[in-house]
Amino acid sequence: MKLSLALILLLPLSGGLFNALAGSRLPRKAGEAVACAAIWGAFACSVLTFIAFSAPVTIEYASWLSDFDFKAPIALRLDQLSLSLTIMITFVCGLIHLYSVGYMKDDPSPSRYFALLNIFVFAMLTLILAENLPLLYLGWEGVGFCSYALIGFWYSDEKNATAGRKAFIVTRVGDTALGIAMVWMFQLFGTTAISELNGMGFLMPSGVITSLGVLLLIGAAGKSAQLPLSVWLPDAMAGPTPVSAQIHAATMVTAGVYLLARLSPLIGSSSTALGAIAVTGGVTALYAASCACVQRDLKRILAYSTISQIGYMVMGVGAGALTASTFHLLTHAFFKALLFLGAGCVITALHHEQDIFRMGGLKKRLPAVFWPFLAGSLCLAGFPGSSGYFSKDAILGATLERGGHLYGALFVIGLVTALLTAFYTFRMLFVVFYGESVHPMGAEGRSGIVADLHHLPPVMTLTLIPLALIALCGGFLDLPENFGGHGILGSFLAALPGFAPHAPASSATEFSLQIGAATISLIGFGLAWSRYTGPRRAESLRREEAGLPLADFLMNGWYLDQLYRVLFIRPYILLSRLLWKGIDEALIDGALNGLGRVTIRAGFVPAGWSTGRVATSLIALAGGAAAVLGYVVWWLP
Amino acid sequence: MIVPLEHILILAGVLFFAGMAGLVAWRANVIMMLVSIEIMLNAVMLVFVAGSARWGNADGQLFALFIMALTSAEVSLALAMVVYLHRRRKTVDTDLFNEMSG
Amino acid sequence: MIEQAIFYILATVTVIGTILAITEKHPVHAILYLVTSLFSMAVIFFLLMTPLVAAFEVIIYAGAIMVLFLFVIMMLDLGQPEKGMSPGWREWLPALLLCGISLVSLGIVIASRHAPDSMQPVPLAIREVARRLFQEHGLAVELVSLQLLFALVGALYLGKPSAAPTKKEVETP
Repeated sequence: MKLSLALILLLPLSGGLFNALAGSRLPRKAGEAVACAAIWGAFACSVLTFIAFSAPVTIEYASWLSDFDFKAPIALRLDQLSLSLTIMITFVCGLIHLYSVGYMKDDPSPSRYFALLNIFVFAMLTLILAENLPLLYLGWEGVGFCSYALIGFWYSDEKNATAGRKAFIVTRVGDTALGIAMVWMFQLFGTTAISELNGMGFLMPSGVITSLGVLLLIGAAGKSAQLPLSVWLPDAMAGPTPVSAQIHAATMVTAGVYLLARLSPLIGSSSTALGAIAVTGGVTALYAASCACVQRDLKRILAYSTISQIGYMVMGVGAGALTASTFHLLTHAFFKALLFLGAGCVITALHHEQDIFRMGGLKKRLPAVFWPFLAGSLCLAGFPGSSGYFSKDAILGATLERGGHLYGALFVIGLVTALLTAFYTFRMLFVVFYGESVHPMGAEGRSGIVADLHHLPPVMTLTLIPLALIALCGGFLDLPENFGGHGILGSFLAALPGFAPHAPASSATEFSLQIGAATISLIGFGLAWSRYTGPRRAESLRREEAGLPLADFLMNGWYLDQLYRVLFIRPYILLSRLLWKGIDEALIDGALNGLGRVTIRAGFVPAGWSTGRVATSLIALAGGAAAVLGYVVWWLP
Repeated sequence: MIVPLEHILILAGVLFFAGMAGLVAWRANVIMMLVSIEIMLNAVMLVFVAGSARWGNADGQLFALFIMALTSAEVSLALAMVVYLHRRRKTVDTDLFNEMSG
Repeated sequence: MIEQAIFYILATVTVIGTILAITEKHPVHAILYLVTSLFSMAVIFFLLMTPLVAAFEVIIYAGAIMVLFLFVIMMLDLGQPEKGMSPGWREWLPALLLCGISLVSLGIVIASRHAPDSMQPVPLAIREVARRLFQEHGLAVELVSLQLLFALVGALYLGKPSAAPTKKEVETP
C-alpha cells in the first residue's frame, strides 16, 4: 500500500520531469508514450490501492518542514474521499492524455505540453492526498502554476498569455486567503495536520470559526471560479481544449470544493460560514447559467457551465450534503470532460471554428462525436436517468431538507438554474449538430456550406466512448432509496466525519422532487427543441445573431470584468502611476538630482574665487590676517 | 629704550596695515602695489630693530639688514617684470593679468 | 625725555607720510612721500641705538630702491595720473575693513600684554655688530650675495629688448 500510494504521486512527477528535461531531444512518440504510461500507471496503482483499502490510513514518507514546533512532513492521507477522487482523476486524466496525443499532433512543442500536463496531475494528486495543509498548499500552488502555463501555452499570441496571467492573478487572491487561513490555524491550534484540525473545531469561539470558514471560502472561490473570482475561467478557454477538459472541468476547479469538503468538520459548526458558502454557490450557479444562455463561443458555453455546476457543488457543501456534492463532483468530472473533448473534436474538424452560429448539421457528418456529446449533454441537463440527474437531484434534495428561509430560497434558485442549464445545454447541442450545413445569413461573404472536414485522428473519438458510458451509467453509484439502489457511494463515504448521510426525507417529498427535477429538465429540452430545430431554427439564429435586448449584458458575464476594471484596476493603475511619476520620479529622483544640482552649484562658489587675478589672493591674505587676529583677540580668551 | 616696546609695536602695526591697505586697494597700478609692499617690509624692519634695542641683541639689526638686502633684490626683479609686462600688454592693471585662473 | 618727544613727532611724520604715500594718485608724488617717511624712520632707528641700520636705510632703501622705482616710472611713462585708474571707494572698502579689523585686534593684543620693566639697554658697538654679522651669520651673508646675483641675472634677462620672440630668433635662449 505504501509503495503503490507513493507511486501514484511519483509516476506523474517522473513522467513530467522526463518530458521536461529529455523530451525535446527524443522522438515525439517517446515523450507521448512516457507521459501516457505515467498516468495510466498511476491509475493502476490507485486501483491496487483501492483493492487493498480497508480503513483510512495516514502514511508518512519523509520529513519536509520542521522548525521548533511547526512540523509538516510529507504525509499522505488515504481515506474514502481522497481515494475516490484519486481514481477519478487518474482515469479522466489518462483519457485526456490519450486524446491530447491526437489533438496536439501538429504542435511544435509537445514535450513542454506533456511535461506540464504530467506535473499538473502530480500537483493535483498531491493536493488530494495531502495530510497537512502545507503539502496541500504545495499542490494548490502547483496546479495554479500549471494552469497558468497551460492556458498560455501558445503564448506567442498575446491574448493567450494575458488569459493565463489573468487566471493566475485572480486565483492568487484566493490563494492569499487560504494562506492566511493556514497560518492562522497554525497559530490557533498549533498544528497543520488536517485530521487533527478537524477534531479541534470546538476549541475556538464561533466567530473565529466563521472567519476561518470565510477565508477558506475565498480560497476555494478563487480556485473553483466562484463569484466574485469567477472572471478568469471564461478567458481560460484560450488554452488547448484538452487542457480545458482536464484542468477546468475535471480537476483543478474541483480543488476548492475538495478543500471545503475536507475541512468541513472544522468549519461546519459555524452556520454562518455554511450559509455564506451555500449562498456563494447558489448565486454563482444562477449567474453562470444565465450567461451561458447567450454565448456564441462553444468553449465559453462549457466554461460558464462549469462555473455553474461547481456552484451547485459548493451549494451542496454549504447545505451540509457532502456526499451529494462529492457525487456531483465525480459525475461532473466525467461528463464535463466528455463535453470538452467532444467540443475539441468539433472545433478541430471545422478547422478551429469556435462560433456555434457557424456550425450546423454535424449530426450526419460527425456521428462518432455526436452520440457521446449527446450523452454528455443529457447528463449536464439532468435528463431523467442520466448520472447528472441523480447527482443534481441529490444536491437539490439536501438543500430542501435543510430547511429555513435561506436554504429554501437557494432551493428555488437551484431549480431555476436547472431550467436554464437544460435550456442552454440543448441549445448548444441543437445549434451545433442539428439543422442544415447551410447558414441562412451567409454572413461576411463566406459560403454557408462548411467545407470538407478536417480529419479527426481516431484516438480523439475513441476516448470519448468510455466517458460517455460512465456518464450515462454512473448514476448507479448513488441511487436514492426509492429507486432501489443502496447508495454505494454514500455508504462508502459515510465513515468520514461530516459525511454521514442525513436522514432522508419522506418518500413522498423525495419522489415529488425527482418528478419536479425531471419536469424542469424536459421543459428546458422542449424549449430548446422548439427554438433551434425545425422551421424556427433559421429565424431564431438570425434573431440571436442580430442581438437580443439582454444579450450583451449576459454575454459579457454581467459586465463583471468591466466592474473590476473600474473598481480595482483603474484605481490601482492610477495609484501606481502616482507612485511612479509623483513619488519615485519627482520626489525621490528629483530629490537626488536636486541634491546633485545643488552640490554642483555650491561648488561653483569656491570655483569663482580662483580668478587668476593677484588682487583676489591679496584680499584673501588681508582677510586671513584679519580673521586670525580677530580670533586671537575676541574668541580665544 | 626711550619708549616702551608696545608703542613701537603699535607704530609698526599701523605702518604694516597701512601698507596692506594700499596693497589691496591699488589693483590699478602694479608699481603702487610694490610701493605698498616696501612699506610693509619697512614696518617689519622696525619691529626687528625694536627687538634688538629691547634685548640688547645684535641679531635684530642684522636681520633688518638682511631684509633690506633681499628687498632690493626682489624690487629689482619685480620692476624688471613690470617692464616686461608693460612691454607686452601696454598696461599695468593687475586685474587684466588673469590667465592663471582655475 | 626729549628723546621720547622726538620719537613721537617722528612717528607721527612717518605715519602721515605713509598714508599720503598710499592715497596719492601720482606715483612720483607717492614715492616722494614715502621717501620722507623713510627718512623719519631712519632717525627712529638712530634713536633706537642702531646707527648702522639707520645709515643703510637712507643709503640703500631711500637712495637706491626708491630711485629705481622712479627710473621705472619714468621709463614706462606712467606718470600721468589722468590716464590710469586710481582706486575709488569700491577698492578702498575691503582694504580699510580688513586692515582696520586686523589693526584693532593687534592693538588690543599688544595693549593687553604687559612686558616686565625694561632695563636700561647698552648701546652696541659697531665692531661688535660687524663681528656678529660675519662670524655667526657669515653663511647668510654669502647666501644673500648669491641672491643678489640671481636677481641681477634675472633682471638682466627680463629686461633684454629681444625678450619678445620673433620668428627668426627661435634658438635664442
